[in-house]
Amino acid sequence: MGEGGGFTRTTTFRLTLLHLALTLAGTVLLGAIAWWATVGFAARQASEEVARGMGVLGQSAALSGLRGVALSIEARLAADRAGVEYYLLAAPDGQRLAGNLATAPPEMGWQTIEVREASGATVPVIALRAALSGGATLVVGRDLSAVRALESRLLGAAGWVAFGAIVIGLAGGYLIGRGIARRTAAMDRALAAVAAGDLARRLPVAGRGDEFDTLSARINAMLDRLGEVMAALRSVTDDIAHDMRTPLTRLRQRLEEVRRAAGEGEAAKAAAAAEAECDAILELFAALLRIAQVEAGAQRSAFGRFDLSGVAEAVAEVYAPAAEERGQTLEAEIVPGIEGFGDRALITQLIANLAENAVRHGREGGAVRIALSPAAAGGVELSVTDDGPGIPEAERERVFRRFHRLDSARATPGSGLGLALVRAVAGLHGMAVTLEDAAPGSDMPGLVARVFIPPPPA
Amino acid sequence: MRILLVEDDSETAAYVRRGLIEAGHTVDHAADGQEGLFLASGGGHDVLVVDRMLPKLDGLSLVRALRAAGVTAPAIFLTARAGVGDRVEGLDAGGDDYLAKPFAFAELLARVNALARRPRLQQETTLLRVGDLEMDLLRHTVSRAGQRITLQPREWRLLEFLMRRKGEVATRTMLLEAVWDFHFDPMTSVVETHISRLRSKIDKGFDRPLIHTVRGAGYVVRDDG
Repeated sequence: MGEGGGFTRTTTFRLTLLHLALTLAGTVLLGAIAWWATVGFAARQASEEVARGMGVLGQSAALSGLRGVALSIEARLAADRAGVEYYLLAAPDGQRLAGNLATAPPEMGWQTIEVREASGATVPVIALRAALSGGATLVVGRDLSAVRALESRLLGAAGWVAFGAIVIGLAGGYLIGRGIARRTAAMDRALAAVAAGDLARRLPVAGRGDEFDTLSARINAMLDRLGEVMAALRSVTDDIAHDMRTPLTRLRQRLEEVRRAAGEGEAAKAAAAAEAECDAILELFAALLRIAQVEAGAQRSAFGRFDLSGVAEAVAEVYAPAAEERGQTLEAEIVPGIEGFGDRALITQLIANLAENAVRHGREGGAVRIALSPAAAGGVELSVTDDGPGIPEAERERVFRRFHRLDSARATPGSGLGLALVRAVAGLHGMAVTLEDAAPGSDMPGLVARVFIPPPPA
Repeated sequence: MRILLVEDDSETAAYVRRGLIEAGHTVDHAADGQEGLFLASGGGHDVLVVDRMLPKLDGLSLVRALRAAGVTAPAIFLTARAGVGDRVEGLDAGGDDYLAKPFAFAELLARVNALARRPRLQQETTLLRVGDLEMDLLRHTVSRAGQRITLQPREWRLLEFLMRRKGEVATRTMLLEAVWDFHFDPMTSVVETHISRLRSKIDKGFDRPLIHTVRGAGYVVRDDG
């Protein structure tokens, strides 16, 4: 799970939003149905009663004229205890003949009007205005207050329902999301550990048989397979090491016997030279296998805490006389007491390889510097600096490859494996190695190799 | 000395055996782990030379079994593997030293000698003397023919290592391991440069050199006079 703004990019977040939108849509639909069934029903009922009243009064007009209608209206109003009915019967000249409405609504047909009561309050009324034969006007209305009250209550209730839906939707989304996030985070942690070289680590299986379990089980099966392949590769490597080194060893033994038997003459010299060549082949072979083993991450068993400052000091001391032979000064700026974590022997070799390169490629009569100090961002920085020809920027990535040697370095001895091992050891320990110009812009820019060493685990 | 060699490769076994006999030792040879365990359990060996990859019972298990059975003779592992952690594994299993194949016979012989005389080293010594060169371990001083010589800490360790084994060859790799804790072979000839520095302090200006180079083997401190 990412931090900060990263969360909004997660599937969990999107699912939460979708969940919320669906919950709201459901609530709106439910509200519309409730509206239709209550407010709509009451309004329709009022209209029907108005229409019915109009029908009855219309018949009464046909049978007994305007006088009959007026009497019917008086009788209805007298019986209207709830005070919800409104009527007006007006003569063709506009004079009110009967009813409790002061004036007729402006238009013919259905409309909603506001009626001012004697108390001063206004009442919403649904009214139907019709013309009787002879030019008289008849208006029938009904109080809508109850419908309006129902309407506002329902709106209030709908507000609460929507609020509840949002809260429940968000909480539900959060809970579901957290559950998913927890499981993906556990998977993520396990996979990160595997990527960091812990090939024995497996993804957690909750035992619920859900899709996460299925996925974890599949990935675990894949990791098992990967482990088998790695083991097979290692055993092949070991077999090659054994099968090829054994005959080479015998060859070396024979040469040694030849040299001893030859005494002191030319033959002994030739045998000794052949022995040295044999050693060089074997050393190259051993270095390749060593890099392969380190890259395979096979060596964590030898990890432990050690005095990193002491190791750096020792390397500086070892190479000081070699630097002196080339007229160089070797400066060691090593902060004492820094603890390292990892394979001590490999880290010693890492520092030694960098020191060896610096002494070998540095300017004759120049300076080589080995520095170790706590880094600003936590952890430790080791740097080895020389003042030689440096490495062009385009070549800096390539020099870490096996057997890659710069054209300018072909004349100097070396296997082309030193930096490959440095990178392999750094990778095993989670360290970062960079190469830079020590004196940018100069025609002898030199080289500074920096190794950033992360803090040891607590 | 009586040495038990457990090695399945007959040619290497013959080569080691011949060399050890030439150096004046008695050699018992076992061609697999089980035979090695049987022979070693009988006791009476001063040093065990054990290959790590053996038929029937591998070298690590063999030494572990011997240690559990109370056999304390020092053991040196031979291995054809370029393994990075093999040395640690070997020492954890109860081995005392470790040598990667291929090795020069001189290297093996020097290490076998070093292992065999280890118990005697535990006797308290306060003064090491080779000819007119004296190293006082208590007062931490070195002098030759009465003249004080000042040494850097590593030079001191290098000279002490050589003087404690006076008359015995110390190989380059033995020095790298013991003095600098380097368990790999640097390309640059660092040991040579350190020895030549030490020589300039110990031997320069004196008629008889005490630090000698043994061709194809290593270095030795002895008084030829």
